[in-house]
Amino acid sequence: MRVSLHARCDLMKTLEIKDLHVSVEGKEILKGINLQIKQGEVHAIMGPNGSGKSTLSYAIMGHPKYVIMEGHILLDGQDITKLSPDKRAQLGLFLAFQYPHEISGVSVFNFLRNAYTSLQANGTRTPEAGTPENRAKELQSIKEFRSHVQEKIKLLGISDDILKRYLNEGFSGGEKKRCEILQLAVLNPKIAILDETDSGLDIDALKTVAQGMNALAGPEMGVLLITHYNRILNYIKPHFVHVLIDGKIAKSGTSELAQELEEKGYDWVKNESQVAA
Amino acid sequence: MTEQAVLDFRKSYGEQYGFRTETKSAYETEKGLSEKVVKEISDLKKEPDWLRDFRLKALEHFLKRKMPMWGIADLNQINFDDIVYYVKPTDQEQATSWEELPPEIRKTFDALGIPEAERKFLGGVGAQFESENLYHSLQESLQKQGVIFVDPDTGLNPTDERIKILKLDKAAMERAHKKFREWFGKVVPIMDNKFAALNSAAFSGGSFIYVPPGVEVTMPLQAYFRINRENVGQFERTLIVVDEGSKLHYVEGCFTKGAPIVTSRGIMPIEDVKIGDLVLTHNIKFKRVYHTQVRPHSGKLYRIVYFGDSTQTIEVTEEHPFLAAKKQKDEYKNTEWKPEWIKAEELDKGDYIVIPIDRETESEDEREFLIKIGRGRHGFKTETLRLRTDPDFFRLIGYYLAEGSIVSGHYLHFTFNEKEREYIEEVKELLERYFGKKPYENKPYKHGISIVLNSTAAVRFFESQFGKGAAKKSMPQWVLKEKPEKQKEIVKGFWRGDGSFMMQQYPYGVKRMFRMNTVSEKLARNIRDILLRLNIFASINIQKRGGKRKNMFCIYVGGSFLTAFAEAVEAYPSNEVVVGRQVAFQKLRQINAKSFTHIAEDYAFVPIKEISVREVKDEPVYNFSVEDDESYIANGVVVHNCTAPMYSDEKHSLHSAVVEIVALKDATVRYTTLQNWSNNVYNLVTKRAFAYEGATVEWLDANIGSRVTMKYPSVYMFGKNAKADILSVAFAGKGQIQDAGGKVLHFAPNCTSKIISKSVSKNGGRSSYRGLLKIAKGATNARSVVRCDALLVDEQSKTDTYPYNEIEDDTATVTHEAAVGKIGEDQIFYLMSRGLSEQQALGMIVNGFFEVFAKELPMEYAVEFNRLIQLEMTGSVG
Repeated sequence: MRVSLHARCDLMKTLEIKDLHVSVEGKEILKGINLQIKQGEVHAIMGPNGSGKSTLSYAIMGHPKYVIMEGHILLDGQDITKLSPDKRAQLGLFLAFQYPHEISGVSVFNFLRNAYTSLQANGTRTPEAGTPENRAKELQSIKEFRSHVQEKIKLLGISDDILKRYLNEGFSGGEKKRCEILQLAVLNPKIAILDETDSGLDIDALKTVAQGMNALAGPEMGVLLITHYNRILNYIKPHFVHVLIDGKIAKSGTSELAQELEEKGYDWVKNESQVAA
Repeated sequence: MTEQAVLDFRKSYGEQYGFRTETKSAYETEKGLSEKVVKEISDLKKEPDWLRDFRLKALEHFLKRKMPMWGIADLNQINFDDIVYYVKPTDQEQATSWEELPPEIRKTFDALGIPEAERKFLGGVGAQFESENLYHSLQESLQKQGVIFVDPDTGLNPTDERIKILKLDKAAMERAHKKFREWFGKVVPIMDNKFAALNSAAFSGGSFIYVPPGVEVTMPLQAYFRINRENVGQFERTLIVVDEGSKLHYVEGCFTKGAPIVTSRGIMPIEDVKIGDLVLTHNIKFKRVYHTQVRPHSGKLYRIVYFGDSTQTIEVTEEHPFLAAKKQKDEYKNTEWKPEWIKAEELDKGDYIVIPIDRETESEDEREFLIKIGRGRHGFKTETLRLRTDPDFFRLIGYYLAEGSIVSGHYLHFTFNEKEREYIEEVKELLERYFGKKPYENKPYKHGISIVLNSTAAVRFFESQFGKGAAKKSMPQWVLKEKPEKQKEIVKGFWRGDGSFMMQQYPYGVKRMFRMNTVSEKLARNIRDILLRLNIFASINIQKRGGKRKNMFCIYVGGSFLTAFAEAVEAYPSNEVVVGRQVAFQKLRQINAKSFTHIAEDYAFVPIKEISVREVKDEPVYNFSVEDDESYIANGVVVHNCTAPMYSDEKHSLHSAVVEIVALKDATVRYTTLQNWSNNVYNLVTKRAFAYEGATVEWLDANIGSRVTMKYPSVYMFGKNAKADILSVAFAGKGQIQDAGGKVLHFAPNCTSKIISKSVSKNGGRSSYRGLLKIAKGATNARSVVRCDALLVDEQSKTDTYPYNEIEDDTATVTHEAAVGKIGEDQIFYLMSRGLSEQQALGMIVNGFFEVFAKELPMEYAVEFNRLIQLEMTGSVG
């Protein structure tokens, strides 16, 4: 693990992306991304299909198929470019998936508890812990954990039947997205990336998810919201909006930029950036 | 069964504390099974004559019966003569309270958490070491209701002395004894199979349970079994009779709260285990991982090359015996052919290696195949394809193996030379006959004709059964076991496609040979095996071709086998299209060619071409069958090749139990097994239940450990409205073969059955589902569901399915599903993004896969089961 020479400016968690070039199966998708997200900030990344939005989210989380050719990802000054996804999670990163995977036979509650314990123990936990005293402690912690989860479930307005169901198995599109947000709520990361969490949701579901997010995102959490439409931005107000076109950030601005995009379309940014170049 | 999770990490644990002390047994028989040994066991147990005769009859059958060869494991590696069949661990009488046990044995049970489990949630416990039951207990309330839970000696021969020692109710015991006599050896008769016969001859220990009418045993009864030493066989016998309207849940295996497995991982503080603590030492084997399979060898290594197969050489240690025959003096060929075990160092050039011929035949005139039809984005649909498997069909298979290919996933192509019109017309006719679709012709190049059949079903059939791509073609088990008459047709088809006849001038004369080529090594071997069944010996030669071209495997038939082969493939002049061959065939009958090789009864004798010796130091010696698993041939590693059967120099243990269950009218029995034997145990068990009217039998069977497990719990439903439920799960790790499944047989109306099989293979492990569903004529309104799911953790692991269906009643409703899954990178990434390590993620997916089983277990067992799986999945067991 390499620690960057950059001095830590403050105690806030910051995700820094520096000149990031990412290839997938030999094809360069991201061509030099620079981005800085502080705790408490909400950034939105918008862009047309195929501009590299999802690639950015996978690369930040460390999917092995998304190869970083150049550049660095730093969390709180620490270079995490080469860390495995679980280590990144333990440092406080979270990715809400656009298409969450089904894990048959593993209940949502069991999954949450395992993930939670892993994060708590910073990866030093072994699955076989437990003298009788430890076992008692464990039971106690199960009880505490259950109430922690119940609280989040209430906050997000989800039915607690979900806890008994197998992770994402047989979930509707909306249920999958809500389950992602529930995980986010329970695991409480420092920086959360939401990859098109709004897609495939009807308007009511969108509202619940957005309300949940608003309740969660506070001064403690930095949010990177990746979206194709600005529909969700009516409910979650971003501090910054970036437009991603062809693997590069073509334009950055405040939430007004989203409004402008809605009116003029992505071509407007494309043309503008070409002129600038 | 204890099978107690004998896991790898115990190795270091053991080495650290020098756990290698052997305890002395009170009594043991000499190695091997003979009439003398069987009589000795019977005498020791003071058995009545009828029981002694039963054992002797079984022995006779065991010795006579051939080794079953249909499984995926090579059972010839079991050396029956090197096993101790009866070991009595202590002279002490069976105990009914823990305090009565010798302190060191008691400590073991404490460490395993058994007394605690008994107090908390078990209705009774039986515990066995080596060959004897040491402890039996049953709750007082159950005793009062007349439930009997004893060892088989007591069950079959309840002497007053035993009744007194075990504090049994005499009347209840006598009633149970009548039932035991009535059913003993009836559900699984002596003649059932070789290993049932073995058990019947040598059985000792186990459980006999009788539940009288109308008694519900609410808490499970449990038995523990341990094999403590190497080279010991354990042959326990279980008979359970549940009378009308009664209920029982019986558990065998390891429940190990606070067990050593867990201990070494930190549950039990290490200081609790003291140096010289015999209990833990001699009960724990540190053999789980490969050192049972790989050991450093210093000394001589013999390299043996034999005629007839240039692809195979054998490298073995000097003391390694071969099934072979010495060359008789100064004769061209032996006059007597008798295989014997000969050590490698005693073999010379010119002696004969013996290749056994598998003569076992399973023939079907019609078979069902499950094929998957892709539906684009919608995944797969599984369909059943019913095919007539008559001789002509086998010839079509031969054509496919030679000339068939699959194009774009939906087209079946057969390519011939345009002159081979006769074959072209035949293939066209056969395709239409069996697959109901008319093929058309293409002309891909000059002189070439392609027959094209556009049938996804046909493509899936050939692809799944015989492989796709020339190098991957092979034959499945059902083909290899068919009647030789049908197999002959394969050779015919294959020879017509890829065969030729050769004549070569040598200084000593003209050599004539039939030749067939293939780039698939496996297929070459399959053809050789089939030819052996036709009493034709074929050589395999490997032709290394340069560059990117694949090696060619040439199958030759010559010498004294020429005419037999010509007859088999009907290669007579009149049938021949190629003029050049005609001359050759006419001469064929006139010459009297000789061969080096010889076939006598069930063996082929092949002369040794060359033996060389080299000295090695600490060279790892493997002991795997490599015939189907080339991955074990690695540089610098010596492989014990098993083309010829050989004794293994590894110490194996054998567990061969028989379990008989009788569920009378309206009774319910659940039998749960958690098998976690160490990796040197051959676990070959016969489990069968008879279910009468309205009865329910459930088998829950988990196989995690052992080197080879072959186990197919079965339910025979003889009464209407009976129900059978089999849930079989298996985990095959490195070097392990889990050949498991289930059988249900409907003999009465309105019965329902369900078989669910789930298996995980990892690190080159092999698992297979083998199952039988039989619905007899008159067993109307049968409903049956069979589902097998397999999960492959990596590319090296394998899984197969062998479902057999015999459905003779038209009113049956049968569903059959099979699926093979692989763990995807994206799934792992998803879990890792939540903070789980890769190992944890894999473990979680596998545990989830087994959840359907775990949720059926009582909580404590489920926890233990999940823990075992998690341990198997982490690198430590690797």
